[in-house]
Amino acid sequence: MSLSQRWSALYQWVYRQMHRIPALPRNLLVTALFLCAAYLTSSILIGHTGGENNSALVFVLAVVLISLLTTGYFYGILASIVGAFCTNFFFMFPYAAFSLSHTGYPLAMLSMVAISCVVCALTSRVKLQAAEAVRREKKAKALYEQNERLNQEKTAIQLQSARETIRSNILRAVSHDLRTPLTSISGAASVLLSSGEISEKNTAMLQDIKEDADSLIVMVENLLSITRIRDGTMPLKKREEMLEEVAGDAVLTTRRRFPDSKVELDLSEDILYLSMEPMLIKQVIVNLLENAIRHSGDREHITLHLFRQDNWAVVEVRDRGKGLSPEICQAVQSGRPLSRDLSGDSTRGMGIGLSVCQSIIKAHDGFFAAGNSPEGGAVFRFGLPMEDFPNE
Amino acid sequence: MSEKRTILVIEDEHAISNFICRALSASDYKPLAAASGKEGLSLFFSHGPDLVLLDLGLPDMDGLEVLSQLRGLPREVPVIIISARDRESEKVKALDMGADDYVVKPFGVSELLARIRTTLRRADRMKINEGIQRDVYQVKDLTVDIAKHQVLQGGEEIHFTQNEFKILELLAIHAGKVLTYDFILEHVWGPYGGSSNQILRVNMANIRRKLKENPSAPKYIYTELGIGYRMLED
Repeated sequence: MSLSQRWSALYQWVYRQMHRIPALPRNLLVTALFLCAAYLTSSILIGHTGGENNSALVFVLAVVLISLLTTGYFYGILASIVGAFCTNFFFMFPYAAFSLSHTGYPLAMLSMVAISCVVCALTSRVKLQAAEAVRREKKAKALYEQNERLNQEKTAIQLQSARETIRSNILRAVSHDLRTPLTSISGAASVLLSSGEISEKNTAMLQDIKEDADSLIVMVENLLSITRIRDGTMPLKKREEMLEEVAGDAVLTTRRRFPDSKVELDLSEDILYLSMEPMLIKQVIVNLLENAIRHSGDREHITLHLFRQDNWAVVEVRDRGKGLSPEICQAVQSGRPLSRDLSGDSTRGMGIGLSVCQSIIKAHDGFFAAGNSPEGGAVFRFGLPMEDFPNE
Repeated sequence: MSEKRTILVIEDEHAISNFICRALSASDYKPLAAASGKEGLSLFFSHGPDLVLLDLGLPDMDGLEVLSQLRGLPREVPVIIISARDRESEKVKALDMGADDYVVKPFGVSELLARIRTTLRRADRMKINEGIQRDVYQVKDLTVDIAKHQVLQGGEEIHFTQNEFKILELLAIHAGKVLTYDFILEHVWGPYGGSSNQILRVNMANIRRKLKENPSAPKYIYTELGIGYRMLED
């Protein structure tokens, strides 16, 4: 710390301490203190210098300091008058008596008051300017800080958007770079399967290759959807759709993948025409059907039921299998992401499938529920809100 | 048929093009592979294929551009679009530009072959019946009699409203082909009908209920999600 900094720190400390006292007593105290100091100094000086007396200068100095340290002109002027009298009274011949009889005395007194006043006015101005400078400095500092903050925010936003671009690029890359080879793996496997040139042993293996490639395709689609929705970066591409057509398509897709399973689509008389992103809703239904086929232990009695309940278009998937474990029911009910709860081997793929369903339905402002039917088997149900469309 | 029919496959993904060609040769077609739009067009002019499989995502030019060049020719060769799942509007555009059908990646071989068979058959029939409009269309047990304005299912007449009948008629005339929502709307309600998609969809739901048609096991009318409808061929 340099000397000037130390001084300025000391000055500021004194200044702060002093400003703890209310203005009037403070100003009076400062005035009295400096006048006393001036008096003492003058007394000491006069002992050394005798008749050659500098007390007027000492008092002017005191007045300067007083006007510097007090607020307004008043104390400075008061001090100058008092100082002038003191000089006259104590330190000029005749000592300890007030006298204007000597030539030059009144003039000296007047000029001292005048000088004090001028100095006082000047210091006040300096103080004002100093205050102004401090204010400006503060403002500049505030501006600088704000600028700094804005800069930081700007960088953060730029980083964020860069990250989002990277993420969507990765998504696109994943979707293209995984889907295309998987399509060709599955396609090549099915060409070989239908060629009739493969031995029975190898046929089973080829069948596995094709099935795994197909389920990987589904998995990629699921991951893409869940990333898209959880990010919230891409809004849903909703449009009005007939729910039965979406459900029908989902059943057809499921049947193509699991030709030996039986899935029944149960329509109601209600016409369920509502706003949704059809490919995502189809994905939900496909996931639920696939879960029923793969995990319920019963492929024969899977039903998909569509109906209207108040202002909800409800889709229900029932099986007659072994039902859901309490953990799964609880996990679905709690609405927290399922992937962590269902990571066991027995439920491989179920967690992510249900997780995707949950996220998609949530993004559609719908409800998602799971439970066991009293007749046995699991029931998954989701509802989508219906706006009222005027009938034809 | 004595001579093998030629199918031009315009697809830039080598692996996909490869298995499609294998599947085509296995089904007694003669495949021709092109990896870019330009190569595809030049192969088209040099070999005159019977059908074109066209991927919309090509490296050198827009697949739709290739389609419009093919459609600008006097000889109408059927085109089946191969497209990615998330590019629906492109598919609809391609169909409205005159593509005959589409398959979505990832697609199965059997699905692709079925589409090719249907499209080729339709094209043949169009050639034979050029200009002649039939009066009666038959799909399984469903008869759409345009002259008599009558629909029979299993010999029993089913009553449809005017617009429902018009939709059925339109689908029957173009049986086997995907008709986009816009195409149906324009032909049934007129170009300035100001009609919404909803009217069409609700009409279709009613037709389905009258025919006891379940969309998960369609007997007559297939739903092409987000695109339109297609009536099964005779």
